[in-house]
Amino acid sequence: MLTHVRIDNSFDAWRDAARGLLANGVPPSDVTWSSGRQQPGLFAEATTAKDENREIRVSPEFLRLARTVACFDDAEKWPLLYRILFRLHHENRNLLMIESDIDVRRARVMEKAIGRDVHKFHAFVRFRKVENVSGDEVFAAWHVPAHFTVERAVPFFARRYGTMMFSILTPKGCAHWNREQLVFSPPVDAAMAPKTDEAEDLWLLYYRSIFNPFRLNVSVMKRELPVKHWPTLPEAVLIPELVREARAADTPAS
Amino acid sequence: MMELRRKLEVLADAAKYDASCASSGSKRERVDGGIGNTEGMGICHSYTPDGRCISLLKLLLTNVCIWDCSYCINRKSSNIPRARFKPEEVVRLTMNFYKRNYIEGLFLSSGIIQSADYTMEQLILVAKKLRLEEKFGGYIHLKAVPGASKDLLLEAGKYADRLSANIEMPVQEDLDTLAPEKTISEIENTMADVKYGLDDAKDRGVRQDFARAGQSTQLVVGASASTDTTILTKAEALYKKFLLRRVYYSAFSPAEHTDVTLHKEKAPAMREHRLYEADWLIRNYGFAAHEVTQGLDGGNLDLDHDPKLAWALRHRSLFPVDVNRASKSLLMRIPGIGIRNVDRILKIRRFQKVRLEDLARLRVSLSRAKWFIITADHNPDVFKLDRASLPDALRKRAVQPELFAALSVVTSAVTGEL
Repeated sequence: MLTHVRIDNSFDAWRDAARGLLANGVPPSDVTWSSGRQQPGLFAEATTAKDENREIRVSPEFLRLARTVACFDDAEKWPLLYRILFRLHHENRNLLMIESDIDVRRARVMEKAIGRDVHKFHAFVRFRKVENVSGDEVFAAWHVPAHFTVERAVPFFARRYGTMMFSILTPKGCAHWNREQLVFSPPVDAAMAPKTDEAEDLWLLYYRSIFNPFRLNVSVMKRELPVKHWPTLPEAVLIPELVREARAADTPAS
Repeated sequence: MMELRRKLEVLADAAKYDASCASSGSKRERVDGGIGNTEGMGICHSYTPDGRCISLLKLLLTNVCIWDCSYCINRKSSNIPRARFKPEEVVRLTMNFYKRNYIEGLFLSSGIIQSADYTMEQLILVAKKLRLEEKFGGYIHLKAVPGASKDLLLEAGKYADRLSANIEMPVQEDLDTLAPEKTISEIENTMADVKYGLDDAKDRGVRQDFARAGQSTQLVVGASASTDTTILTKAEALYKKFLLRRVYYSAFSPAEHTDVTLHKEKAPAMREHRLYEADWLIRNYGFAAHEVTQGLDGGNLDLDHDPKLAWALRHRSLFPVDVNRASKSLLMRIPGIGIRNVDRILKIRRFQKVRLEDLARLRVSLSRAKWFIITADHNPDVFKLDRASLPDALRKRAVQPELFAALSVVTSAVTGEL
C-alpha cells in the first residue's frame, strides 16, 4: 500500500517522518514524498507511526550527510534519504562506504553541491553601505544561493564582520546581524536589493586592472564564476567589454 | 599629485604577474573590536576573464625599480607609467574592499626603491598599520625582498600570514643573462631567514606568531632556455630545503613585454599547466622529480599527455595494476585516478569487488585509466596496453585544452595550498 508523506521542507520534519516509517518497516518503494513551506501540523495524516518512540540508531556520518542533503533544492532528496536510511538498516550498515552505489553517489553529489553553494555564498556576497544610523556603518547584500544554505553560510559573516551591522537578503531567506545576535527572516525579492556603494568604482577599476588580457580564458571563468551569479556581482558588468577588448587585441591588425 | 584612482590602475596592473593569490593555510580569529579573520580555507571572491581568481587585493607599493630584470614589466628600462602608494592609501583600500567582502586580504609587493632594507621597511609599515591600527585579522601576504636584513624579515613574519621571495629562474646562468643584479644565493639566503623564523616560532611553541601560512616562491617559465627538468629539479630542492608551501610557475608571454632579446616560446600557458601538474604529483602523489622528468624528450614535459599518463606510458611494464589488490601508492600512479578516488576505491573494496562500472560512477577518467587496470569484471582495453599506437590513441582522447586549462586554475588557485 502506498503511503504519501507531506512534510515541511526541513531536516527535522523529514527525520520525524522517516523515523515513523522505518519503525513500521515501510519499504521506500511504498512511500511518496512531497514538501512545501506549509506548517507541518496541517498534514496530520502524514506520519502514521505506531512505534514512533522506538529509538533508531544512525551513524553520525549519515546524520551529517542527511542534514547537508536536506539543504538541496529538489524534492528528490527526501525519498533518496529515506531509501539510504532503509538500506542502512535492512541491507548493509556499511552502505555509505560503497561510494559507487547509485544512491550513495547521488547523495554525495548533492552534499558536494551544498558545500560549493556555501563556499560561493561566502565568496560572492557583496556588501553595500546602506545607511548611517548615529554614525554607524550598516551594510546590506543581495545574494541568490542555489540551495537552502542561508543558515549554514551566514554564521561565517558574523565571525568575520562581528563589529559591523549587516543584513544578507536572499530569495531563500534573510539573515541580520546586530553585532550580537544573528536573526533569520523570510525571503524577499530582488527589489529589496541595495542599489549602490561608494567603493564599487574603485573595485571595478581594480578588477579591470588585475585582468590579464593575454591569458583570456572565458570557459574557466564561467565555470568558477557561473553566469547565474553575475547579476549580484557589481564587477560582472565589465566582463563583456573586457572579453571583447582582449579578443580585439589578439587579432593582428590587417 | 597623482590621484588614487590612477595609482590603483597602475599598481594593480603592475602586480598581476605574480601568480600567487592563495589565501589558505592560515587560521586567525578576529581580535576583540577588530575586523576580519581567516578560517584556513582560501576563498576566491571573483574571477577575471583570464580564469584567474581574485582572492587578495594584489598591489605593488610602487612599480619604480632600481633593477633591470629583462623578464619583468617593471624593470628600470621599461617604458611604463610609474606610481607610488602612500602606506595609508593601501590600508584604506584594503579595509574598504574587505568590509564589502570583495577580498580575503592584501598581497603587497614592490619594486626595489633605494635598497632592499628600505623597501622591506615600507612593506612592513603597511602590514603593521593594518594589524595594529585597524585591528585587521584578514590575510596578509608580503613580498620578502631578497637581500633584506634578517631582522626585517623576522619582523615582517610577525604581521604577515605568508612571505614569499621569488627565485624567478632555476639556475644562476639564467639570472646572469636576464637579471644581472640578482643571485640565487641571495634569494635563497632570504628564504633561509624566513625558514629560520618559522623554525624558531615552532621551537618556542608559538607557530602562529610567524607567517602562519608559511613561505612560497615563483619561477618565471619560458623567458630563458631552461628545461622543465631543470625547473622541477630546482623546485623539488626548494621544497625540501626551505619547506616551501608552494612553488608558483608563471608563464612568460613575450607579447606582454617588449624586450626583443628574450627567448620566444609557442605554448607557454600549456607548459605552465603541465608544470603545475608535475609539481602536484611531486607534492601529493609520491613522485620524485626525477621520475617525472626521466626520459623526457628534450627535457621538457609532454604537452599532449598529462605527466602521470606520460610517466605510465614510459613504464608500461609496471602495469596493468589490479585495482582490487594494489597498494595505495600504486593506485595513485594509475593515470586518470585521483587521490580522492583512490581513497574511495580502498573503502569500497573492503566490502565488495571493484568493477569498471564502479569506477565510472566515481567519475574516474576511464579514457585514460582503462588501459592500465584490471577490474573484477572483464576489461577488454587492458589487452591494448602494449600496443605501439597507444600513446597516439591517448593523445587524441586525452587532450581537451579547455579542460586542462580549467584544471590548472583549480590546482593553482582554488584549492591553493592543499
